[in-house]
Amino acid sequence: MELGLDVGKVGSHAVVDVKGEIDVYTAPKLREKLIELVSEGSYDVIVNLEGVDFLDSTGLGVLVGALKRVKAHDGSLALVCTQEKILKIFKITGLTKVFPIHSSVDDAAADSSAS
Amino acid sequence: MPDVKLEIPPRTAYVGVVRLALASLARSAGFDEEAVDDIKIAVSEACANAVLASEQALSDQPVSVSWSEDDGECTIEVVDSGAPLVSVTDGDDSANVRQEMSLDLMRSLVAGFDLSTTDDGGNRAVLTISRPKDAG
Repeated sequence: MELGLDVGKVGSHAVVDVKGEIDVYTAPKLREKLIELVSEGSYDVIVNLEGVDFLDSTGLGVLVGALKRVKAHDGSLALVCTQEKILKIFKITGLTKVFPIHSSVDDAAADSSAS
Repeated sequence: MPDVKLEIPPRTAYVGVVRLALASLARSAGFDEEAVDDIKIAVSEACANAVLASEQALSDQPVSVSWSEDDGECTIEVVDSGAPLVSVTDGDDSANVRQEMSLDLMRSLVAGFDLSTTDDGGNRAVLTISRPKDAG
């Protein structure tokens, strides 16, 4: 099982495109990438989950940890997700109130820049 | 369909194997794709908890996963020989936060969820799912 991680830039935001399944086995790879970004000075991060087929509580924990890290630097972490099966996970755990969730990377970048 | 039992080493790499196998069994039992997605999440959470509990206890005993069906429901049982999960309480430790979210997901996604301690101090998670009405 592979987790694909591609990092790009949209304006001042680092964008992480995630592809595959985020579970207890693969989530550490995402955690390392997000820690690396913050340690390099990227404090405004967008995680694009449109290519994610599966997300579990370990993956959610990684995103919550990354949010805490960027907030410590007055940064932001926004998500891109339109898949109902993934959004359902955020709704059940109450994390729709914690993360800004957008329908596209451009929307996420625009909203994060405005706030 | 006869009952099915799987055993996996207590390693995170094998959780995805169980997820695939149980998704296939659920489809064979007549569940639609939305229900299969829910089952995949619930069984992954149960297996992840079992593997992490085994790692915490330094246990090499396999994690067993069983699937059974009767007229009204399907039952998935995940048993480990790890550290007790029922002792976990609220806290800001990241492992506890993950586990609380894991328990929330299992409680929400299946009709019945029960977590108990086995005689050897490990954990038994039992997930029950109502069968589709038109399944054979």
